[in-house]
Amino acid sequence: MTTKRLTCILCPNGCEVEVSYSGEPTPESISVDGNTCPRGVDYAIEELTAPKRTLTTSVLVYGGTQPQASVKTACPIPRESLFDAREALRRIAVDAPVAIGDVVASDIAGTGVDVIVTRPVPCSP
Amino acid sequence: MSARTREADVVVIGGGPAGLASAASAADAGAKVVLVDRNRELGGILNQCIHDGFGLHAFGEVLTGPEFAARYIDRAFDAGVEVHPNTTVAELEASRELVCTTLGERYPLRAASVVLAMGCRERTRGMLQIPGTRPAGVYTAGTAQWLTNMRNLRVGKKILILGSGDIGLIMARRLTWEGAEVVGVVELLPYPSGLPRNITQCLEDYGIPLHLSHSATCIHGRERVESVTVARFDGRRQPVPGTEFEIECDTLLLSVGLIPENELSRRVGVRLDATTSGAFVDDRHMTNVPGVFSCGNVLHIHDLADWAAEEGARAGTQAAAYALGGPAKGGAKPIRIEPGDGIRYVVPQTASRGSKELLVSFRVTAPDENRTAEVLADGRVLASEDLRRAHPAEMVQMKVGCADGLDADRLEVRLT
Amino acid sequence: MGEIFDIAVIGAGVIGSAIARALSRYAGSFAVIERTHDVGMGASVRNSGVIHAGINCIPGTLRAEYCMEGRALLQDWCEELNVPYGICGKLVVARAEEEIPGLERLMRDGEANGVPDLRIISGEEAETIQPGVTCVAALHVPTSGIVSPYALTIAMAEDAAANGVRFFLGSAVSGIAPGADGFTIETTTGPIGARFLVNSAGIHAGRVAGFLDPEAPEIHPCVGEYLILDRQAGEAMSTSIYPAPAAANAGLGVHITPTTEGNILLGPSSEYVSDPETSCCTKVTTDRLLDEASVMWPGLPRHLVIGAYAGLRSKLTSPETGGFSDYVFRRTPEHPNAIHLLGIESPGLTAAPAIARHVVDDLLASDVGLRTKPAGEIRTRRWPDRFDELPEDEKKRLVAADPDHGDIVCRCEGVTRAEILHAIDNPLGVRTLSGIKFRTRASMGRCSGGYCLPRIVEILQEEFGWSPGDFQLRGPDSPAFVGRLLEEDHVCAHS
Repeated sequence: MTTKRLTCILCPNGCEVEVSYSGEPTPESISVDGNTCPRGVDYAIEELTAPKRTLTTSVLVYGGTQPQASVKTACPIPRESLFDAREALRRIAVDAPVAIGDVVASDIAGTGVDVIVTRPVPCSP
Repeated sequence: MSARTREADVVVIGGGPAGLASAASAADAGAKVVLVDRNRELGGILNQCIHDGFGLHAFGEVLTGPEFAARYIDRAFDAGVEVHPNTTVAELEASRELVCTTLGERYPLRAASVVLAMGCRERTRGMLQIPGTRPAGVYTAGTAQWLTNMRNLRVGKKILILGSGDIGLIMARRLTWEGAEVVGVVELLPYPSGLPRNITQCLEDYGIPLHLSHSATCIHGRERVESVTVARFDGRRQPVPGTEFEIECDTLLLSVGLIPENELSRRVGVRLDATTSGAFVDDRHMTNVPGVFSCGNVLHIHDLADWAAEEGARAGTQAAAYALGGPAKGGAKPIRIEPGDGIRYVVPQTASRGSKELLVSFRVTAPDENRTAEVLADGRVLASEDLRRAHPAEMVQMKVGCADGLDADRLEVRLT
Repeated sequence: MGEIFDIAVIGAGVIGSAIARALSRYAGSFAVIERTHDVGMGASVRNSGVIHAGINCIPGTLRAEYCMEGRALLQDWCEELNVPYGICGKLVVARAEEEIPGLERLMRDGEANGVPDLRIISGEEAETIQPGVTCVAALHVPTSGIVSPYALTIAMAEDAAANGVRFFLGSAVSGIAPGADGFTIETTTGPIGARFLVNSAGIHAGRVAGFLDPEAPEIHPCVGEYLILDRQAGEAMSTSIYPAPAAANAGLGVHITPTTEGNILLGPSSEYVSDPETSCCTKVTTDRLLDEASVMWPGLPRHLVIGAYAGLRSKLTSPETGGFSDYVFRRTPEHPNAIHLLGIESPGLTAAPAIARHVVDDLLASDVGLRTKPAGEIRTRRWPDRFDELPEDEKKRLVAADPDHGDIVCRCEGVTRAEILHAIDNPLGVRTLSGIKFRTRASMGRCSGGYCLPRIVEILQEEFGWSPGDFQLRGPDSPAFVGRLLEEDHVCAHS
């Protein structure tokens, strides 16, 4: 039996949950304790089987009031794809204006997830 | 420029989450509102906080800082708030007369009530008196965040972070993603000062070492940071001889605390609380200067923008009520609210006699588990709440209902 | 071999800059050679900023003579250059009865030097002059004053540059070769020729003199650390407070002094070091400064410390001897056209204009052939008024005249965009972040640049197209940034 303590990162409460499982962790074998909402269970299972994170970063903008626009993956992507996704975004630039929700890349790093703008950048005057 | 209003019911100073929410709620209450903000774009510090984790309380969604700001910016414009961007308040009088300054114009602005929502600034190396040389490459974490996320600059390649505040943790991850090597986070206290989830997702995910009960004892490097000497610190916050070690780095980021930005408040005669460094306010968020209200990080440091915005909204409603001459609360002597055992501070510091409901925000003095927070009126328990986990990094809010109207000599919040 | 100048001054501290300004009133070709990338970056900006009255100099010495002459000239120069100064007075306090003889000794020396209006007063009277000061008696020195040392040094150098003196910044002297008609000064940016030479290299003056004069005395660096307190603390401070001296000819001790900008300085410590580049502050000293200052002023608001710095005294007295030596103006028979200024420590700031005048008089007496410039050819470059300190009407007028005065870049010190742009447009060509700081005070306040640095960066990026490598704290060796986060070169998909 393996027991681990995890800090749930889904909300600022950051609940500390205790997970236990035998052998390889699978959604069926993991038991979760200490969560204060149901999402804690989902988080713990995902964290042990296929951890995911949202990438929040920025891309170059041409002709805008700011040199860069902040972006995020539309949903969490596998943790091991974070750096590949970041490197892929380094090669992308957009023209101002951009608005929140504009898609700057699709299927980033083969994750099937879009990358969207999180901060509007108007054209420079 | 000359189209700018010179007179309003409510003037809000600061366009971050607290100021935006305050302006919107004051306008919703029927007041003519002007929001003055020194930045080109509204949103304050949220614009550089491109990470996510905002909005769960306020919108039930996970948003990045700029997205969260956009919601409140829309809300303020929809409510009819007139915004004066790129504008600094140069003078503020107790009579609520202001002098504002912007490119090409220095103009007066008068209001019936003023909401202070100027936010906070970061503690600096000078305040901590970190010994050593004075090289390039020492930045506060928030300044580094602005330079990184707003000005497209790399502040360094090999980075040590002093202090485990949230901004420092977020920057540790951000700079790691950007290809920098974050060599460690050093924290004076025996526990981290940032949120637990940021320890997990910003440090542990990337194997960044966290040195608790440690601090910097010397900065080296004549022209640019070359290394930092770190030592273990004891319970009296003194370095333990013989525990020093040197960490090689070209950059030192400081995430060692925030200070409410109360220079303007101080000049207008607002009385400040030595613990929060923010104003003393009553349960309407009004300071000792009649018609001057305070909310958000300028009142006390919040760990969540959601709560700063909520507080702003409450202050805005009250500022509008004051300006529009709503029912004045009687002249009865206000009730003091004081921190008791285990509590570092409580906001507001006074409550109006006869209030039916009171919201108190407080922080505990040390990390603990399974405690109960109580609000007492002259020793009688008015409300209590179990805290599964109590942590100085996490602000606690409690609603106190009092159907018959509050009446006591003194209120106290304590941990049992 | 590069250009040949009539006179080259080595070292652009307060002394070199004062000499440069004095020379700029004459027709001739003058060079100032400076190791760092701005003027006054050594001891000149890292001192107490005090205009000494003349009580701490032994009568009959050059220190005493130049202090008395310099303090009068300094005030004239400050008026001409619009440099902030003030005569705020000084209390030298005896914390116990046995320290009173020390006050009497200072008073005797002061009176012998011609210092007016000295009085030994009771502790109670001292407290009426500076509330909160704690002592049994004090020497009141009403003619003591304060000056902004960096404003003075930079203003003198910029005035000199605007009037034709050439500044070679970032040029460290690595050797001096005497020739038939003067000297060839080897520097890290190339050789510079000069018929006459003035060595005002401060902490490095001994080493520079050594290139021509193997017998030149050694300079002993002695570090002095200071703390800076917020302007909020300065509101309670109207006069300088000094401790009674420990012994005759001893250092001045840890004192508390207001600055012309309204901050308070605590310091200096005094410790001989081997490294002439030391700029390190230590915790032990910081704590000691606060403790010693608190004895004289128990209400000292320790929590309002916003910064620290360390400066180096250029001492001729060795660590074993201690105390003060007199200033040395050295000319050797082998190289009479080279003047070496050695051991110019306190009150060097006060004495600077007088030293400059004497050096120029010496040069006039030599065969340099200096002629006074006609008054019409002199354009005094005045230090700009600080916008933040102007009356409201004047501020309004300035904003109407120059829109950039409406944009506050540094909120702590109230510095406007127009002031930043003016600072970048300086006649010395200084383009460092530290240069902007010392010319405007932006980032000298309580947030240490947390707020204004990004704004200054934005102005420099947008107005002047600066790239990351252009941002330097003090020069090419202190880059502020290591590159762009996102590079256009990496972009291959443009949507």
